Amino acid sequence: MSYYLGLAQLIGIHTLLGLSAYVLMLTGQLSLGQAGFFAIGAYSAGILTVIFELPILPALLAAAVIAAFFAFLVGFPALRVKGLMLVVATIAFGEFVRLFFFNLSWRVPRGDIVVGPDSTNGFREIRYFVANGWSPWEITAFVWTFVILIMAALWWMDRSRAGAVLRAVGEDELATQSVGVNLTAVKVTAMTAGGFIAGIGGALYAHTATYVDHLTFTVLLATFAVSYPILGGLSSVFGTLVAVVFIQGVLVEGLRFMGDWRNIVFGLLIIMAMNLKPSGLFDARTAQVLKRAVGLGAQEKSDA
Amino acid sequence: MIDFVQNTVDGMMFGSSYALLAIGFTIIFGVMRRINLSFGATIMLGAYIGTWLHVHHQVSVWIVALTTLASTVLVGIYVERLCFHAIRRSAVLASMVSSFVIWMQLEEAAIHLLPERTYAFPALLAAGSFELGPFLFRAEQTSMLILAMIIVGVLHVLLYRTRFGLALRAVSENSLAAAYMGINAAWVTLCAFALVSLMGGVAGYAILSTDAQITPFFGLWATFKGLIAMMLGGMGSLPGAILGGLLLGVVEAHALWYLGNEYKDLSAYLLLFGMLVLRPGGLMGQRILSREALAFRRV
Repeated sequence: MSYYLGLAQLIGIHTLLGLSAYVLMLTGQLSLGQAGFFAIGAYSAGILTVIFELPILPALLAAAVIAAFFAFLVGFPALRVKGLMLVVATIAFGEFVRLFFFNLSWRVPRGDIVVGPDSTNGFREIRYFVANGWSPWEITAFVWTFVILIMAALWWMDRSRAGAVLRAVGEDELATQSVGVNLTAVKVTAMTAGGFIAGIGGALYAHTATYVDHLTFTVLLATFAVSYPILGGLSSVFGTLVAVVFIQGVLVEGLRFMGDWRNIVFGLLIIMAMNLKPSGLFDARTAQVLKRAVGLGAQEKSDA
Repeated sequence: MIDFVQNTVDGMMFGSSYALLAIGFTIIFGVMRRINLSFGATIMLGAYIGTWLHVHHQVSVWIVALTTLASTVLVGIYVERLCFHAIRRSAVLASMVSSFVIWMQLEEAAIHLLPERTYAFPALLAAGSFELGPFLFRAEQTSMLILAMIIVGVLHVLLYRTRFGLALRAVSENSLAAAYMGINAAWVTLCAFALVSLMGGVAGYAILSTDAQITPFFGLWATFKGLIAMMLGGMGSLPGAILGGLLLGVVEAHALWYLGNEYKDLSAYLLLFGMLVLRPGGLMGQRILSREALAFRRV
């Protein structure tokens, strides 16, 4: 059972990571720096609960705010460039953050042991859940509370003016600008929101894993972050969730029996999925079919 | 002062290998308007196949070199067919992400070939050094610089003096117009991939024999260095790629000398980030930037 709970936590955390890229992708920007914000969230939350001995909730929120602040700072310069150049700029940012934590050593004695990030050896003692006797069920519920809250917030945002503005920027920047939308403000807001979400994800990750090191936050993680919304499609937040379940639940776990050959098949399957459905597994048509299947919106006219 | 000059010279020599990697990225970007993130992994797998022959069959160094080149080209063609040819042209992102996902596949294949972490890589030339006045030159680095100069020269002739070069430049200028002129863009792209992989194979071989060892980390390392050098010079610009590679090499050499090893990579990323912010097109890429602005408005 604890195996499935662990998987559920992982899926929840990766959904947050995917959603952080999703927000930015609505505005037509692709960032491979999400792993950097995730890392900032993970290390900050770990430092707050371990070194400053804060409770989990304030530490989590503070970590998210710190990650959002860095996203805000990076957003201004980085969003001057677009498309593939933004991709490379954000790769550079992500690697920069990773190398920073690779070099970070901040050891303080707590009780009879020394705790804190220890550069190449990683940050080992993030044992808040264990120390406070949380059961795996409680941890899973805690993680999914945040996932549901953020998915609901994004779902609601999509139906408000803010969502329309984000999508308009993604669709046609010039047209959006000409109706009086401040492009920089919109993009930096999206970046900051993405940083916040990734920060929460990272903070939850650090505490469920109890151990983080710089190798967790490579560009591979950032690629996963963007492949969820790409694979899931941008039509709704559920696409990202579907993609995370598909990749983490079905592919990564389902292919475990293949042992060492897993990565080879895994790469091939993702490429096939992208070949067959370039606009995402959960695109507008699939959503329509699903709606019809469950009897909702059968009378609605398709607007896709 | 002597240190400064020595570092600059060393940096330029090592930078010449970055320049070769950057040229690979630039040509693919020019022809396809896409980034091939598995370029480094392609080179790595090619070199692993060569090393595998060397380790298990004790073949001569020349055969290792030729196998490395040939298998790099084959792997490059495999990547092109799977990630670029099969995915339709408008899906820039899907093909970039899948080219990165294929990196996992190639790395896994390399690890299966030679399961240990690090292997000695056979060099063509014996290591050595010579002095010129107060400066020290390492033989293998000097030969890398000369090799890079030869490759750039050959490439220049190929691109500007042959029919294939004309076709390649036409496709990268405007693939639709090139298709109307009867140029088979898919074929030119495949050839460009093979060419770039061959060049990457040469660059990879030169770098690995300077390092005298090969690890699975080489793939990502080569991808990042090539990508950074290309962005510094400007996407899609050949002189830019050379300049960017040399600049990256020099900056890294100085960071290594004055700040220490842990700042070498940090300085490279900082340099790139600064360049993208201050001069988004890179050193030579402003003209290309404005042309590309339309192409990348919607990712």
